[in-house]
Amino acid sequence: MQRAIEAAGIPTIIIAALPPVVRQTGTPRAVAPRVPMGANAGEPHNVEMQTGIVKATLEQLVKLDTPGKVVPLPFEYVAKV
Amino acid sequence: MSLTVVKGLQSEIFVPVTPPPVWAPVKKELKDMTIALATAAGVHHKEQKRFNLAGDFTWRKITDKMPSDELMVSHGGYDNSDVNKDINCMFPIDRIHELAKEGFIKACAPVHAGFMGGGGNQEKFKHETGPAIAKMFVEEGVDAVILTAG
Repeated sequence: MQRAIEAAGIPTIIIAALPPVVRQTGTPRAVAPRVPMGANAGEPHNVEMQTGIVKATLEQLVKLDTPGKVVPLPFEYVAKV
Repeated sequence: MSLTVVKGLQSEIFVPVTPPPVWAPVKKELKDMTIALATAAGVHHKEQKRFNLAGDFTWRKITDKMPSDELMVSHGGYDNSDVNKDINCMFPIDRIHELAKEGFIKACAPVHAGFMGGGGNQEKFKHETGPAIAKMFVEEGVDAVILTAG
């Protein structure tokens, strides 16, 4: 999906919970906060964390200059299962 | 003596191949960008048709006018409990609106896309669903897209 949008000329960045998977599937740009699948953009109702992740993602969108990099983000959420 | 016993032997284990790079350059500053969201998390409006949890290559257009508390998830491939509490976990639409309001980005796009990743007909995703979503974003003048998946 990301590749299809990118191929149409629109830059993209993916927020991934599983960095090895997005690397394998050929992501152009990716960030990886320490989150479980299902909360890629941060803990539920934690506005501060979600804003931080989205802002950092947008900053990496502009900053990354080569395809295939997965940038770790300094946010952590461990779901209570 | 040659050490090769059988020529051209291949592993019988399926090894996924990473495709060649694809890259669209960023041409604007963030404050001049209209940002859209695309998610593989199975997000859609509660009035829209649910995804087939066994595998579904279709997608749902999510307009920016749909209130975030009327969005829901149908996806069989991950624990939905966090995203059921707060859609922003996978579809940070409220956060994008706030960033547009404070001027960090120019605007939130009028349309977004929800689909169900983690399975389904990959050929259809690659050749139909992906290009259809990309076409919508091009037509709506989207400058960049944030995805959540994987």
